Amino acid sequence: MKTILLIAKDSVRALLHQRLLLGLMLASLAMTIFFSITLGAARKSINRSFADGQTATNSFTGTNQMSETDRRRFQDQMETASSAVQASFYQIASFGGSIVALFIFSTAVSGEIRRGTIRLTLSKPVSRAAFLVGKYLGGVVVMAGFAVITSLAILTFAHSQNVELSPAIKWAPWLMFCRQLMLGSLAMLLSLFMHPITASLLAFFAGNGFYSSPNPLYFVLPSYKDFNVFFQVLQGSLMNFRDVAFLSLYAIDFVAIMLLLALWRFRTKELV
Amino acid sequence: MAAIRTENLSKTYRAGLSGKDTVAVRALNLDVKEGEVFGFLGPNGAGKTTTIHLLLNLIRPTGGTAFLFDRPVTETEVHRRLGYLPESVNLHDYYRGRTLLDFYAALCGVPPASRAARVSELLKLLGLEAAADKVVSKYSKGMAQRIGFAQAMLHDPDLLILDEPTSSLDPVGRKDFRDILIELKRRGKTVFISSHILSEVESVCDRVAILQNGELKRVGTLRELSAGRSTRLIVKGLPAAVMESLAATTAQVTLIQGQVTIRCADETLRQTVEALLRQHDVEIVCQEIETQSLEEIFFSTIGSQPKP
Repeated sequence: MKTILLIAKDSVRALLHQRLLLGLMLASLAMTIFFSITLGAARKSINRSFADGQTATNSFTGTNQMSETDRRRFQDQMETASSAVQASFYQIASFGGSIVALFIFSTAVSGEIRRGTIRLTLSKPVSRAAFLVGKYLGGVVVMAGFAVITSLAILTFAHSQNVELSPAIKWAPWLMFCRQLMLGSLAMLLSLFMHPITASLLAFFAGNGFYSSPNPLYFVLPSYKDFNVFFQVLQGSLMNFRDVAFLSLYAIDFVAIMLLLALWRFRTKELV
Repeated sequence: MAAIRTENLSKTYRAGLSGKDTVAVRALNLDVKEGEVFGFLGPNGAGKTTTIHLLLNLIRPTGGTAFLFDRPVTETEVHRRLGYLPESVNLHDYYRGRTLLDFYAALCGVPPASRAARVSELLKLLGLEAAADKVVSKYSKGMAQRIGFAQAMLHDPDLLILDEPTSSLDPVGRKDFRDILIELKRRGKTVFISSHILSEVESVCDRVAILQNGELKRVGTLRELSAGRSTRLIVKGLPAAVMESLAATTAQVTLIQGQVTIRCADETLRQTVEALLRQHDVEIVCQEIETQSLEEIFFSTIGSQPKP
């Protein structure tokens, strides 16, 4: 266990020194901020146009009162705009996170083999299993950090824009994190057979979203789409804890199976 | 107990459908005893590095088995007694020298209490004190090789496997390296060195093995390898009849200031010449086994000549 933690710590250190990864994270963050500002501005514009309309109505009727219908219409518009802002925010963060996850996990082991640094590490009393699990754990820590930053960004954004949080958005970072770990475990497994870029692309497009129930591929391929809560956030619908727990269990099982397959492959892989 | 033992160790790289398979190591039988400094020689592509990778379990053999301290190389625990310096030292370049060694020391199981002291000791021994807090990516090749050597010695292993350890070192570095090897030898450590620098191997190794095209050509001490090859017989006066008989053999006869020297290239020829001399009652004043330098042994083994 100590060895796994040492490898994981080293992996986190290595990832934080990767310029490409930092670039991806910054790009993802910049994209999120950009869209947040744009969407925030759109929301303000709705607010302003409503306020202008209200002023015009008040001056015409000579009252300061907003009618009940207008108030409801305004509230509906505001809620829709808020949900759209949150859903878009989530979608961007989720996509950016997936790219980061694919990059991290597909290069975690294959990068060490390519650079030749694995030779020194495995000449120490470090088993291949400990190395692989440690590398995965390092990636998990970085992705957890990314999920925390995303959650904080959502909260900060909601607070600054005075937006009421959609019920589903509360689970969104966790489900996004689970999805990224699934993507990552598959990308890591595939990177032991092929080039990391091919492995990443294959992992990303290997979801069962393109198939429906009678097709065997629907049951074999990972179900990423269930982890995407874009529509729940957009519609402001509730998510029950049982669904989230079930999805979490599915993700854990999936990751465990992928790691076991990766271990099986890595056990006999030539490392030079 | 053997520090390194291989039994018919083989490695063949399979080519695709169109290509030819490449035999990197062919039924290699090695036995490196504990406490000896063993030189592993061979021209480029002889299979030295492949053998080392097999010993480290970085690649899988296609035949045979390898053992370190009588345990299969696939056992991770046996690496507690092993230190390895690769030919090209690829380090985690985001570390500083000191933290890199600390990381490797932790992996080797060096207790935290003694880790800092051990790291400092090795940094000093390898002349890296001034660069200890420099980022490893800024290190020169020679410095990288030095720190690579330091990481191999962190846990004071019983066996050191060094692949071209001095290829990037300057003469001062080479001398320091040789001194360290001599000290390790004195302390009873086993050192397995693959090197192209024959003079270096000659000066420190107890035994050497010469590999060519993946095949073990010769193995033994320098004395064993050079012995029984060519012999010089010095005789007093040589009758014409003997001279004629010798002319029919491949023995080389030279006459300098009345002293005749007969050079016999191998043991069979020596026995023939001795019999001939005895037959004619020629007194053998002196008999010397010609010793060869490691370079001569190496080139005669691989069937090539050093370029002038």
